[in-house]
Amino acid sequence: MIILPTFLSLAATATVFPEPTLMPAAAGDLLAIRARTVESVSDGTLTHAVILVEEGKFATVGEDLTVERGIPTLDLPEDWVVVPGLVNAYSRQGMDSSGGSGADPDVLASSELYPGADVYQQLLEAGVTTLGLYPAGNGIPGQAVAIRPTGDTLEEMILDDAVYLKIILRSNASSKKMLRKGFEEADAYEEKEAKARAKWDKDQEKKKKKKKDDDDDEDKEDEEEDDGVYTPPTPDDDVQPFLDLRNGELSALISISKAGDYLHLLDALGEEEFSWDLRIPLSSEADIFHVADKIGERGCRVLVEPRVTRQPSTMRQRNLPAELVEAGATLAFVPNSDSVSNQKVWLRDVGHVVAAGLDRQTALRAMTLEPAAILGLDERLGSISSGKDANLLIYSGDPFEPTSRLVAVMFEGRFVTGEKDLR
Amino acid sequence: MMITLKVKVGQLSLAALFLVSGLSAPAAGLLALEDEDKEEQPEWLAVTGGDVFTGTGSYLRGATVLAKDGKIDSIGYDLFIPEEAERLDAGGMRVYPGLVAISSSGLLGGSGDLADTIDPFSSRMVLGLAAGITTTSQSNQVAKLKRGELEGAVLSEKAFSGLTWSGAGGKRALKEKFETTATYLRAYREWEELVKKDKELKEPSKRGVDSTVLAVLEGRILAKFSANGRDDLLGIARLAQKYGFRPVIEGCGEGWAVADELGRAGAMAIVTPRYRRSKEESLVRDGGSSIENAAILHLAGVSVAVIPSSKSVNLGGIAGRDIMHLIIEAGFAVRGGLPEKSAIDAITIQPARMLGVGHRVGSLEVGKDCDLIVTDGDLLHYETFVQYAVVDGKLVYDKQEELWFSHIRPRPEAPAPEESPVDAGERPEDIEDDGEAGDDDESGDEDEEDGDEGDEDEEGDD
Repeated sequence: MIILPTFLSLAATATVFPEPTLMPAAAGDLLAIRARTVESVSDGTLTHAVILVEEGKFATVGEDLTVERGIPTLDLPEDWVVVPGLVNAYSRQGMDSSGGSGADPDVLASSELYPGADVYQQLLEAGVTTLGLYPAGNGIPGQAVAIRPTGDTLEEMILDDAVYLKIILRSNASSKKMLRKGFEEADAYEEKEAKARAKWDKDQEKKKKKKKDDDDDEDKEDEEEDDGVYTPPTPDDDVQPFLDLRNGELSALISISKAGDYLHLLDALGEEEFSWDLRIPLSSEADIFHVADKIGERGCRVLVEPRVTRQPSTMRQRNLPAELVEAGATLAFVPNSDSVSNQKVWLRDVGHVVAAGLDRQTALRAMTLEPAAILGLDERLGSISSGKDANLLIYSGDPFEPTSRLVAVMFEGRFVTGEKDLR
Repeated sequence: MMITLKVKVGQLSLAALFLVSGLSAPAAGLLALEDEDKEEQPEWLAVTGGDVFTGTGSYLRGATVLAKDGKIDSIGYDLFIPEEAERLDAGGMRVYPGLVAISSSGLLGGSGDLADTIDPFSSRMVLGLAAGITTTSQSNQVAKLKRGELEGAVLSEKAFSGLTWSGAGGKRALKEKFETTATYLRAYREWEELVKKDKELKEPSKRGVDSTVLAVLEGRILAKFSANGRDDLLGIARLAQKYGFRPVIEGCGEGWAVADELGRAGAMAIVTPRYRRSKEESLVRDGGSSIENAAILHLAGVSVAVIPSSKSVNLGGIAGRDIMHLIIEAGFAVRGGLPEKSAIDAITIQPARMLGVGHRVGSLEVGKDCDLIVTDGDLLHYETFVQYAVVDGKLVYDKQEELWFSHIRPRPEAPAPEESPVDAGERPEDIEDDGEAGDDDESGDEDEEDGDEGDEDEEGDD
């Protein structure tokens, strides 16, 4: 390993110990990890990399950095690989309610969150360090919550609430109508609001005029009564999410199941513009390739399973995830099925799609940074770069190879699972 | 659609410009307007060199159908084809109007309200197009088999009003409805005239008037009955004659036995030539099914549409009786004596008219939608395959590109351009195979050479 004399800036612990120590000395909450290969996702593959973790965050990440003496350092074996903690943006783990089939956009998945459920610890140990939980049901079941898979209270668990509005759209009159109605109600509210505003403005003017008349009689300070504050009418709970979509405070994750649904979605949306991503459950004969170009043109994120599907009515393989990327869409993966055992083999399943032609970096990104973006957390986590939450996984080899073991999981700077000498 | 509309608007404003500025229209403005028009590039499709069966017009050998923005712009010979036009070589093949399946299920993928449920990517739609069908009716709505597109697919949201003619009570009730409604309608028409003079006059009461029957009598919608028995058919025919409306009768199995009455009633029949019904042996009069049904009805003046017995793509059961075999079913009508032309009408213009979309589809006429199929032989021949299907001026089916039938008698690839004429001595067989195979095989050497020249000419055109 060649270490170039690059400076590693460390805030408080810049003391250099003259005598070499065998054991890394405890120096604040610092830990350095030296690895031959680090898949940073945001900056590609780093070789001979050093990751400095400080107080639960990545302080510095770079190639061929020197680690100052005194900082506990973990030297990983040559063929071990470090990847960011996985993000599953679309899960129902630990949730057990069943939703309706109507439009309940105001329902929050966080309301059914039960802290301390065993399953979260299991997920964390399987490498899923961030989770998006969506509300159950058909139609428009409500808004998802982003959580840390640990913690005893809701406050500890919830990273961000109301991260996306889940909408299920199928080729039928009722689901299209539901979506249209949501925005029609938002229209109605906006109209009502505009009227209320106009009325308020008028009232204010009248008051002013009146005061002016009064002022003619005797001089009084008019400041006092003039600063009435306009309060807009309160929208109904089920209208607010649609207003939030419009003003960009909320984004939507729209689930479609086939190519035709996408056209019906565009038809139902009409001129409405807001931020949305797509969730497409890939069935074995998915026909979504028909609209791949259209989806690519829009460039939205597409959340799919890592699955190689078949050309309908044949046994010919199709790599839809790769095709979607080629068409211009941004790929995000969910595990093949929403269970702990499947999350454990998530990387291996993605490995199949990589073997079938998907770009490796795109695949890694689709399990980390992109799902984090769906949850609106891509500034905070999802890749190994300085300033982000120190969530990382250490594999005993290429993470896409089935022979590689998940050696350790670091969550917010601490190893939550792993082999003894890593702790 | 949008584009033509805009062009028209452009022309209108051009006219307005002339009006406003009198004779001296500013040349600059004119130019600007023309430029605007040019920005809206029309989409052209030229189907060239096929033997065109127009349906309502003549049969044009080796003619060209030119579509502009989905509508037929011109049909004929030596047409000016814009350079940017997409071309479809139908040389040696035949061009027919897209077929109309008067009733089907599953081809459009959806169920219920078609506008919200059509699946323009479903494999059933491809199979429907492979069968030559470009327009069909499903759950009483009419839509086109537009692949990959929702816009403009639905032609009509209500095709028929279904009326029931069955049971003594039901028949009596229906007759009463017609009587009351007809009486009302007469009174209303009379009132319409009288009220012009006497404004105080009261409008006749609508009591007991059936809105469906009223729509039928006013000619706003066609009434559809389902009947096969001779008695029922007679009943419907007499009802129609008495109240003056044209009934559409689905089934019409024993129609041949009462064809005169049906003809007088102006009935329209939806028949399945291979329909089986045994004669009631206790009766002396004619009855039961007949292969001649379609032919006899046609001769009696009844409009005939043909539909197979199974309305969906059905790969099980007895082969050749599902919607995929609309053409074969029409062939059976020919077997029973229906003229070939009328048999083709029975799966194109006749059903289109019955569905109320005869002004849009069902024949190849200038101004109508460019929905056509290109076949490798006579439409009603059992060996014939649909090679191409075009809907609204867009190629939506190409046999060689689709999974289903590309392996059966593959279409010969267009002959590769020859650098030099082939020597008479070493003429390779494969050139012949590439061209129209059958005919040339039987002809002599000289003819073969002619054929060659023909091929070269075609290449030159391309």
